[in-house]
Amino acid sequence: MSDPHVAHVAERVHAIVEDVFGALEEIRVGMEECYRSSPSFTSADLAGVRPQIFGCLRRLRGVAAGTGVIVAPGVLADRPRWLDWWQAPPEDDPVFLDVDLDPDSLDFYDYTAAEWFAAPQRTRCRHVVGPYVDYGGTDTYVLTFTAPAQVDGRFLGVVGADVRAARFEALLLGVLAACPTQVTLVNAEGRVVAANSPRLPAGALLPEYEAQARAVAARLPDPPWRIVSSSRERAVKLA
Amino acid sequence: MHQLPGAAVFAPVDDGSGRVEVVVRRLAEAIALGLVADGDQLPAELELAASLNVSTVTLRAALAALRERGLVETRRGRGGGTFVRGPADPSTARLRTRLRELSTSELREIGDYRAAIAGTAARLAALRASADQVARLHHVVDRLEAAGTVGERRRADGRFHIEVAAAAQSVRLTRAEIDIQSEVGELLWLPYGEAVDPGEVVRSHRQVIEAITARQADRARTLTEEHLDRGTERLMEFHWRLVTQGRREWR
Repeated sequence: MSDPHVAHVAERVHAIVEDVFGALEEIRVGMEECYRSSPSFTSADLAGVRPQIFGCLRRLRGVAAGTGVIVAPGVLADRPRWLDWWQAPPEDDPVFLDVDLDPDSLDFYDYTAAEWFAAPQRTRCRHVVGPYVDYGGTDTYVLTFTAPAQVDGRFLGVVGADVRAARFEALLLGVLAACPTQVTLVNAEGRVVAANSPRLPAGALLPEYEAQARAVAARLPDPPWRIVSSSRERAVKLA
Repeated sequence: MHQLPGAAVFAPVDDGSGRVEVVVRRLAEAIALGLVADGDQLPAELELAASLNVSTVTLRAALAALRERGLVETRRGRGGGTFVRGPADPSTARLRTRLRELSTSELREIGDYRAAIAGTAARLAALRASADQVARLHHVVDRLEAAGTVGERRRADGRFHIEVAAAAQSVRLTRAEIDIQSEVGELLWLPYGEAVDPGEVVRSHRQVIEAITARQADRARTLTEEHLDRGTERLMEFHWRLVTQGRREWR
């Protein structure tokens, strides 16, 4: 089945994902260089990656809510865990994200267990997770894009960007609205990333029976998402 | 009606099963709530066993358990006997004061709000949780079960509720749950006076995870609400005991 509307959705998703990872590449290179040139790598040395982090935020203006590096435990000489993560308010300068890294705290931001950290650490490949509730961190509903940073096989941590789920949906609004039928973008765990029907809003899980009843209109290679469509007309027509 | 404190603390234990645990729990709670003060001497074993309506064997086992938890100490010789050692944690006094000062209507309000947030979170989590999130819930309850201190229990229990709200895919419910945990978490886990027995909390959380896994949304909500209501009722009981009994008189 090759529905041109579905193909447009797939192209748009691909373009957004490549934009984000393309911008992250600068941070990754910056972090690896920073590590190579610092004899004892400390959190202060990470200031050397700030130009790339801010550059990435500028490049992804209107798309990413935050970017930065998350260091693997044991890599920095002065801190067991560390995030150098910056958020982008619409007008002002980037704001440093201050999280609770005390393991004994109720709000402890246990990032090593988070999929966006653990998956690239395990596979050494880039990864997209979400949408999910990022509590203790940004307290928003987001998609997180991460890629591993490594030097001579040593895993340094990940470089990443957050895209608010609402923003991601808005970026797809045009192509979704153009589809005459119900179209749903679903992530690897079956969760709706964006849709053009109120029946399955972003964040909902696509029920098994729905997954079977609905045709998979397109499979995206990376991230391994699907676009499912039903022949049903959309309940809400826009204009 | 003014009730003599000793009458409540040492009323016969008529629960036929797990008498040792019942005695331990009742005495530990009385100590946690300060109804039995630090340094107070407990009645002689025979007398105490008789008033609790348990055998001296049961009572001795209970006292041994309390000794192990550092809540009583036994001194030998003249002037000896079993003495109460209040929890060393200075926050306990503050928590008692808070629990005494909160009215039952305020406790009910807190309970209603908790049930609304956590009940809805559980229902939505049953509809939306991923396998990964269910695995995390199991992990948190394992941590709760293995916890050795009241602080660890409180953190793991709080984390469970927060993770359920996150699995519901709701930032607002998650935020509300974090606020609830920082506001009332410490009351629910008063040292030695846990509102709900830790073992029961673990069982109840596991049932909720089962319902979430089975995608039984209404059941997940009902189980959560029932569990929270039990905790709220216990806090109200504690409140009443603190305001009606005040400092206990022994003799």
